[in-house]
Amino acid sequence: MTVIADSFRVAWIDFMFIKRNLIIVLVTSLVTPLLYIVAFGYGFGAGAKVDGFDYIAFMIPGVISMSTMTSCFNNVATKVMIQRTYFQSFDELFLCSMKPLAIILGKAWAGMIRSIISCTVLYAIGMAISPDMHLTIGAVAMILICCLTYALLGVVAGMLSNSHLTMTMFTTLVITPMSFLSGTIFSLDALPEIAKDILYILPLSHSTDCIRSTILDTEFPWISLVIIFVYAVIFILISRHVLVKGRN
Amino acid sequence: MGNIVEVRDLVVKFGDFAAVDGISFDVKEGEIFGFLGPNGAGKTTSIRTITTIQKMDSGSVSIDGHDIRTEFLEARKLIGIAQQHISLDKDLTVRQNLKHHAILHKVPKKEMDRVIKETADILELEEFMDHKVMDLSGGWKRKASIVAAIIHEPKILLLDEPTAGLDTRSRHMLWDLVRQLNSRGTTIFLTTHYIEEAETLCDRVAIINHGKLVAVGTVEELRDRIGRVCVEISDDVRRRKRYFGSMAEAKAYSAELGEAMFNIRRTSLEDVFLELTGESGGKLQ
Repeated sequence: MTVIADSFRVAWIDFMFIKRNLIIVLVTSLVTPLLYIVAFGYGFGAGAKVDGFDYIAFMIPGVISMSTMTSCFNNVATKVMIQRTYFQSFDELFLCSMKPLAIILGKAWAGMIRSIISCTVLYAIGMAISPDMHLTIGAVAMILICCLTYALLGVVAGMLSNSHLTMTMFTTLVITPMSFLSGTIFSLDALPEIAKDILYILPLSHSTDCIRSTILDTEFPWISLVIIFVYAVIFILISRHVLVKGRN
Repeated sequence: MGNIVEVRDLVVKFGDFAAVDGISFDVKEGEIFGFLGPNGAGKTTSIRTITTIQKMDSGSVSIDGHDIRTEFLEARKLIGIAQQHISLDKDLTVRQNLKHHAILHKVPKKEMDRVIKETADILELEEFMDHKVMDLSGGWKRKASIVAAIIHEPKILLLDEPTAGLDTRSRHMLWDLVRQLNSRGTTIFLTTHYIEEAETLCDRVAIINHGKLVAVGTVEELRDRIGRVCVEISDDVRRRKRYFGSMAEAKAYSAELGEAMFNIRRTSLEDVFLELTGESGGKLQ
């Protein structure tokens, strides 16, 4: 429990930033997913059916899934990279006797809050425009789990990057392809088996399946939930390793 | 006065390169101790090791009797550090940043506001408490970061190049702050590559170069090592210096110089550094 309490001490200043800049956080987190809904949902996909649902009902859970990652990733990753590399403020956290796990979780919480804010608004919009979408405890739980997982991915990227250039490369080579190719705006079932198998290596493909199934009330992919947990643990272990190795 | 920091045979390596190469020294409780050396001398590595941030390869360091390898948690509670980079959140106010430091150091909630207010009042930061850090000048940013480092009332404050890059006015403001903190009982350990800073601010100075300790002592003691009076002889090509224990000896020597241009003055810390290290000290200012 000390680790959790300490992680909130670490996150306090980021919470303060979000509180002071709520409108900016909201706008910057929502513009991209809303553009997706308008362009793909009402543009390309108007009137189409996917997996037995209206395209808009199929797509909005995918966009929510995408937002669990994109809303927090850049912010967490960039902030961690800058604090670690340029300001060495992680050193000060060690001096406050914070354990590596408390620092990692503390940096992840703020990103998670950002994602939760944008997912909540998107969920509300989806509920308003599509009768196929349901508010379920499972969906809320899955969104929370996915937000934390991708905030941890942001911490990993921030820990591994030493400059804005490497951060941009990570975003271009990992985050952008993942946000498009993980079944967020189309069904992976439409792809050849080999392509589908490759894309199911990506954690976002599993997040999308889990969130979509809980919102549209279809069969829950338990194996995907296990895979997301495995990814979350891997992200924590990598961050911890880099954090401790960096000190040595 | 007892020793609050004891460093013995400290070695810190990065690969085969020894950034700190077997240094030993003590910092006495209540003093202002300066670590003087050019860039790359090993000052920051030393300070990072003493504060438990950097692992050592061999040797020992104790803070107020606590060995930092075995009792690092106790040692850390006694330390405050303001690093070269200002690590405050620039988008938030000074008050919020100080509160975050108080939270991180687990200052009890009911005492937090009082501690922040008292510290800010004493160190004359009150007027800027609700300003965003990004709106402050370089000197006030640095002052705020030093105040953040002492919010948990550490016994020793380590300042890594506290005035680097600041203008003269800001530098003097920070020197006043350091003296003020010291007068309240906080031991100060600072690194600097400004000779003037070490000379005017520090009770004792250690000169470090290429990871090795060249000399430790008060400025007067260091002057005594090479001679308190300097005769600087100039010709068309170069300047030479000779050092003497007294003005009488210096005058007697200069009388023998004939028509050569010379200047008799008090030996400076820069002279001491150059003489003891045998280097040009090009990066020392």
